[in-house]
Amino acid sequence: MSTWQLIANGFAMVLTPVGLLLQVVGVAVGIVFGALPGLSATMAVALFLPVTYSMTPSNAMTLLMALFIGAISGGLISAILLRIPGTPSSVATTFDGHPMVKKGQAAKALGVGIVFSFLGTIFSTILLMFIAPEIARVAIAFGPAEFFSIAIFSLTMIATLSSGNMVKGIIAGLVGFMFSTVGTDTIEGTQRFTFGLTNLKGGFDMLGVMVGLFAVGEIIAAAETAHHKQQSEITVPNMKGIKGFGFTVKEFVGQRWNALRSALIGFGIGVLPGIGGGTSNMLAYTVAKTADKNPERFGTGCIDGLVAPETANNATIGGALVPLLTLGIPGDTTTAMLLGALTLHGLTPGPLLFQNQADVVYGIFAAMLICSFIMLAMEFYGLRVFVKMLAIPKYILLPCIFVLCALGAYQLKNNISQVLACLLFGLVGYGFKKFSIPSTPFILGFILGPLAEVNYRRGMMVTNGSFTPFLTSPISAVFLAIAVLVIVIYATKPLREKRKAAKGN
Amino acid sequence: MTFRKYKDLILGSVMLVISGLYLYFAQQIKTRPKIIPSYSNARIFPTILGILLLAMSILLIIQGIRKAKSFDASKGDTGDQVSKEDYLVVVLTLGVILLYVLLMVPLGFNLSTMLYLFVQFMILAPKGKRKPIQFAVIAIAFSLVCFFVFRVGLSQMLPRGIIESLLGY
Repeated sequence: MSTWQLIANGFAMVLTPVGLLLQVVGVAVGIVFGALPGLSATMAVALFLPVTYSMTPSNAMTLLMALFIGAISGGLISAILLRIPGTPSSVATTFDGHPMVKKGQAAKALGVGIVFSFLGTIFSTILLMFIAPEIARVAIAFGPAEFFSIAIFSLTMIATLSSGNMVKGIIAGLVGFMFSTVGTDTIEGTQRFTFGLTNLKGGFDMLGVMVGLFAVGEIIAAAETAHHKQQSEITVPNMKGIKGFGFTVKEFVGQRWNALRSALIGFGIGVLPGIGGGTSNMLAYTVAKTADKNPERFGTGCIDGLVAPETANNATIGGALVPLLTLGIPGDTTTAMLLGALTLHGLTPGPLLFQNQADVVYGIFAAMLICSFIMLAMEFYGLRVFVKMLAIPKYILLPCIFVLCALGAYQLKNNISQVLACLLFGLVGYGFKKFSIPSTPFILGFILGPLAEVNYRRGMMVTNGSFTPFLTSPISAVFLAIAVLVIVIYATKPLREKRKAAKGN
Repeated sequence: MTFRKYKDLILGSVMLVISGLYLYFAQQIKTRPKIIPSYSNARIFPTILGILLLAMSILLIIQGIRKAKSFDASKGDTGDQVSKEDYLVVVLTLGVILLYVLLMVPLGFNLSTMLYLFVQFMILAPKGKRKPIQFAVIAIAFSLVCFFVFRVGLSQMLPRGIIESLLGY
């Protein structure tokens, strides 16, 4: 089947009445999760997984993609209007977005943010559609050596890049990896760390772990500040009577290079494991500022400073799906949830997915494109409703979210053990927060750990105990070399800084 | 104050203990040397992980000691200070969450959820914002909506109790 036929099939698959309804609901709920500070795209996907249990894989993925896209974009609403980023992906949006509101250009700021979010998503989806199948074609020849090295590479990147403190990042990754070793060993069939408990034989369920860590942990942490002052009043800009999207064609054309550069940055950051929308929006903003002739404009409310982060964070979505779909490697926590969703619905992400379930893959692509349009219309015309949602007090919202977490965990195995596990990981998540340990390396250690372990052990069995093939396969060797390099660079950083300081004196 | 000063030191020590325990139990894993060669048995990764964590916790302890020595209480953000009352809210929240999970099966989904939500709203809401009637209405409505969406709409199983029997499910 040609690519165009596959794309047409994808659209046919998601353009059903049910599919469209799921997309509209998904984008709307996603925007709410994005807009509300403290709720994130990861949480939106986590909470809606139980809803998809009885759906077809295609419908399930459609809903989850809609949530993902809505949530990443929705962060701009509170970032611009409240100067509080709704998600880490819209931190840089506050820099110029809120000053614009102060200048009385709230509608324009929102218009720019929404339109460039939309363009970022579309751009990255199209790149994804043409790049991913090519990578999948190459990856089909990957054996245990390649998968082991890619997993190790990803783990190293995540542990070093996702936190300020490398030691803590590595500890988080190791502890996550350790939790994944609990249960029946897949190769030897023996029990590991189960202490005779039947419930532990199957290991910890990925979804229970993630819901616990991200949702329950967040709720416990929020209890700390529950009695503190609530957020300030929001002024809703009047979006009626505005021509177009609130900015001129000239302004739009003036942003083309900035937008293209930011979209490429966003996409690239998305492809790399360990750094997601939280990094890409900051990086795009910094690059835009450095490249500008008058960098002092930034921070005072110029649209360039809004275009860069909003284009980049949405472009990250398409990038993040590249390693997920082609190799089964999630680059951040939201894609980790999507990996869980795919597995739950009997789909194994990886090169074979493009051969065996091309319809689902292209359905995902089509849903992403359609959702971008839904997001554009909804954020622009439904803004008032979303702003109202921002006024829901946290003491009402968080308990309700916990009920949904408990429900989802219960339905995993239809018993309470998963809910208790979820609670345990909620405590772990809270502990992580208290000790400022990043939780992303933990999750990815938990998910990528088994991939590294199984492929290492399989590879060693194939070669009768020789590690050489891991180094002679060019792809495997390159990834291992980069991993070692990253560690060396980070480990010697304090030394180099000291030497520099000594020279300076 | 003291917690912020010794944070890394405490964490490093906890991790040191954990890595020790993990390594000990890793050596208890049964292997089948006749089927699976020693270079790819079930013990190898846990052992490597345990050793790496041990090394990292020692590094963190060293970092922690250095940090504690050069610690300046006036520096850093003091904005996230948590008072004793705040911790009481956290402890109470943990308590009701645990009770909720344990009571879900004996009481059924609806009754336990309604009770949990009401109590949790009361704990989290600041004084002066506590509106028992409004909270009760929200708790009952939210629980029923969830029940109907999941049980009826999506035909999922949920723990049954009195309310579920009354509703006829």
